[in-house]
Amino acid sequence: MKLIYSQLQKLLPSLNVEPQKLRDDLTMIGHFTNFFEEIEGEIVFDLDIKVNRGDCLGYYGLAKDLSVYYNIPLKKIESPLFQGEGGAKHLGVLPIQVSTDKVKRVMAIKISEINNTESPDWLKKFIKCHGNNPINTIVDLTNYIMFLYGIPNHAFDTAKSTDNLIWQINPSYKEFISLDGTKLELNSNILMINNLKKPLSLSFWGGEACAIDINTKEIIIEMAVYDQATIRQNSRQLKSVTEAATRLEKLLDSELIPTAFSHLIDLILKNVGGQISSEVFDYYPQKVSLPQIKFNYNKPSQVSGIEISKDFCVSCLTRLDCQIQDDLITPPSIRPDINIEADLVEEVVRFYGYQNIPTNEPVTSKDVPDITPKEIYLIDQLKDKLVDLGYDEILTWPLVSSSVDSDTVITTQNSINTESIYLRQSLIPALKQQLDQYQRLKLNATQFFEIGKIFFQINNEYIEKNSLGIYNSDINALRQDALQCVSNSNLENMVFDGNFVEIILDNLSKPNIYTPKTTDYNAYELTSQIITLDANVVFDKMQDSEKLIKDYSQKIGKNNLWQLVISDIFSDPKTSKFRYTFKASYFNLDDKTAKEIHASVFELK
Amino acid sequence: MSQDLEEILKQSIDKISQSSTDQELENIRVELLGRNGLINKLFSDIKDVPAENRKQYGADLNRLKQELESSIENQSNSVRANHDSPPPVLQKQNLFELPKLGHLHPLTQTERQLNALFKKLGFSIYNSPEIVTDEFNFERLNVPKNHPARDMQDSIYIKEPDYLLRTQTSTIESYLLKTKSKELPIRAAFPGSVFRNEKVNRSNHFVFHQYQAVVVDKGLTMKDLIGTMDLMFKTLYGPDIVVRYRCKYYPEVEPGVGPDMQCFNCHGVGCPLCKYAGWIEMGGSGMIHPKVLQAAEIDTNIWSGFAFGMGLDRWTMAQKNIKDIRTLMGSNLAYKPNEL
Ligand SMILES: [Zn+2]
Repeated sequence: MKLIYSQLQKLLPSLNVEPQKLRDDLTMIGHFTNFFEEIEGEIVFDLDIKVNRGDCLGYYGLAKDLSVYYNIPLKKIESPLFQGEGGAKHLGVLPIQVSTDKVKRVMAIKISEINNTESPDWLKKFIKCHGNNPINTIVDLTNYIMFLYGIPNHAFDTAKSTDNLIWQINPSYKEFISLDGTKLELNSNILMINNLKKPLSLSFWGGEACAIDINTKEIIIEMAVYDQATIRQNSRQLKSVTEAATRLEKLLDSELIPTAFSHLIDLILKNVGGQISSEVFDYYPQKVSLPQIKFNYNKPSQVSGIEISKDFCVSCLTRLDCQIQDDLITPPSIRPDINIEADLVEEVVRFYGYQNIPTNEPVTSKDVPDITPKEIYLIDQLKDKLVDLGYDEILTWPLVSSSVDSDTVITTQNSINTESIYLRQSLIPALKQQLDQYQRLKLNATQFFEIGKIFFQINNEYIEKNSLGIYNSDINALRQDALQCVSNSNLENMVFDGNFVEIILDNLSKPNIYTPKTTDYNAYELTSQIITLDANVVFDKMQDSEKLIKDYSQKIGKNNLWQLVISDIFSDPKTSKFRYTFKASYFNLDDKTAKEIHASVFELK
Repeated sequence: MSQDLEEILKQSIDKISQSSTDQELENIRVELLGRNGLINKLFSDIKDVPAENRKQYGADLNRLKQELESSIENQSNSVRANHDSPPPVLQKQNLFELPKLGHLHPLTQTERQLNALFKKLGFSIYNSPEIVTDEFNFERLNVPKNHPARDMQDSIYIKEPDYLLRTQTSTIESYLLKTKSKELPIRAAFPGSVFRNEKVNRSNHFVFHQYQAVVVDKGLTMKDLIGTMDLMFKTLYGPDIVVRYRCKYYPEVEPGVGPDMQCFNCHGVGCPLCKYAGWIEMGGSGMIHPKVLQAAEIDTNIWSGFAFGMGLDRWTMAQKNIKDIRTLMGSNLAYKPNEL
């Protein structure tokens, strides 16, 4: 949602804070504001509106929130009510039908003898600031009103649409072409506005068939609020998200329609002339019923942990336009998200300011019974044991591309790609892949392991087991270490596969308690192959090998050196000199750089 | 080198120097350097050495081994010289390598760091299945069918619409509340992998890792929540981190609280790193929504609760200078064999 600062100030004339402060304050009260920028000479904010606050997808709702927070007046919008227009009662009744219960309220009216024009500059600027292209005055005014009140609305060119508008679930139309020419294939549950012969509009997207152009002389404008779930489903099904859809799929206030609608009519008459040529159509089968909520004035203090007075509660709820009768509170219709006491508590606390809650008083230690499942202790213990034995822990994908046992494999219905559709039944295939990957990276990986879930489907039941997979390049060591892991438990839980073993943990005996180690280990992201190079260095006498490794490692540097090994020491009795052969492995370096570093450190020619 | 090892070295060299035949020397070699010899036994003892001393111990052993080898070699030369045999050209594989060290996965390290903090405060660690029902993943968390919050989470289904892979660690919370509703108060923390139907690339993954903590007790407040969360962030990021706590919407909490970290690059002003917001979102939290407690048959007139959750992947990646999220799940993650 875009928000032009100067437009906001029209609703809040005494609002005068620095843009950066407004950005932060909006965020603190729940409207995350990403940034503000200058567009067309205006300061424009970019906000993420919470899914439960449809009212804030318009200036009006946001201004209301800010007027409560800053305790400044919100300007009432003056729109001459169209019902007051002399003689309107004698005009014809629009032949509109609503044949679906998905419409909560719709208002419509016909205006004739208009002279549509290019939009005036102020309107063009407004539309551009909101990231849209100006089209013509009528279309831009309908959008202007949508941004102002958060309620979408639409104008039909009656020369193309006729007056016979029908709100209905798609009777049998196969296809719909939107205002911008997008062709959509329709299915049967789409809420539409049609005439007797053709589709005219979706609930959230106008159609090409009756689009307003510069020559349009007569229009029907409508403003409606629908069953939000229907709109969300329609918009998802058609994979079309419009500004109107993002609003209509939220709870909107049917009671706000008369104000917004009369404002729209007023603006149209002022900007393109014309006159009202029908009675107001107002379909509103079930008036919004407002909840009456019992409210404990101590609750905001109890929930927040700081003292919030009853006076503040009353003043805040009053500014929100709640009706207050002692401890019974009725929220305004523009706030359909407020239904229970907890909702009111949140309102009071957020306007009191989360920033007033201290941040340095955590819960103190408390003796609560330990409910840690014992398998968590076992897993921690096994990880420590294996790390002590020199193993590295890795993680692999739980979704895999082939099954081990097709009878028990669990298949996902909508996986991330067409290959990885199965839940793994064993860790070993992925450990093998990891070994391949290490070999591609020319990394001599000798010992690693993973602990994770494996999955089965047996008798229509989904079964998860904790599993340990181990690889060791030394098969004897693998056997020894695996035995250590199961510590004399049932050996049936162990499956060997070459240099790999898998152990199901569920049947192993588990420790009653275990405190895992919290050592800090380094880990690296390899971006290229490890490069291993030899170097011979001759010394006059026997060297301290450890010191040699240390000194050369330091020369090469931690950021380049993967590993340094002395692979051979040759003492020549003839010369009585010692030749040391080093194997130095470099990482995340290109070949040329590795060789340069190598040559320079070992002083090779 | 430790005194014990020095002593072993001294005694062994005495023995070697006293031997006068090839056979005698070979026996000593097997005893010391053979497959079941002393040195290999000492190497296998490395697991009992505290982690911080292990590197030094390994290095010492390698030096000991090397000195014994060269001592045997020299003695062999002199034995042969005494027997007037021709001097051989000496070549031996005398590998010197620091011991291979094991490593925990970076995510395990982060999880353990947080687990340790919460255990001190009396929390248990908890977990629950990864294949879950719609009821536990959504309904019990105040996200009924058609709730817009469902759009924020693209689920991977096992059997639509009832069975899916859990999309959030709050799902563990709903299991916890259901299972332990008669054993209040509860303090529990849980790391967990969660799944979303996301294309895998450098910055997105279908499996990622969250950490969540839940408390149900009498008289809990937002002050307790925010204080505890702040302690967690200071433990992870250090005492100088600036975090603000703002109003944020999650269906399973009310009031909802969103922690944001002040951008360390621009200190709140706004810069490209924080997308000009000045702050970076850290996770979500709040007082547990009464409907969530009621779904677990917990009496909200007596008990209240708070919960907070955060992602672990980004933080762990920043810690280890990992740029590609795929690295966390296998592929290019590696550990230097001789470095902790
Ligand atoms: Zn920044």
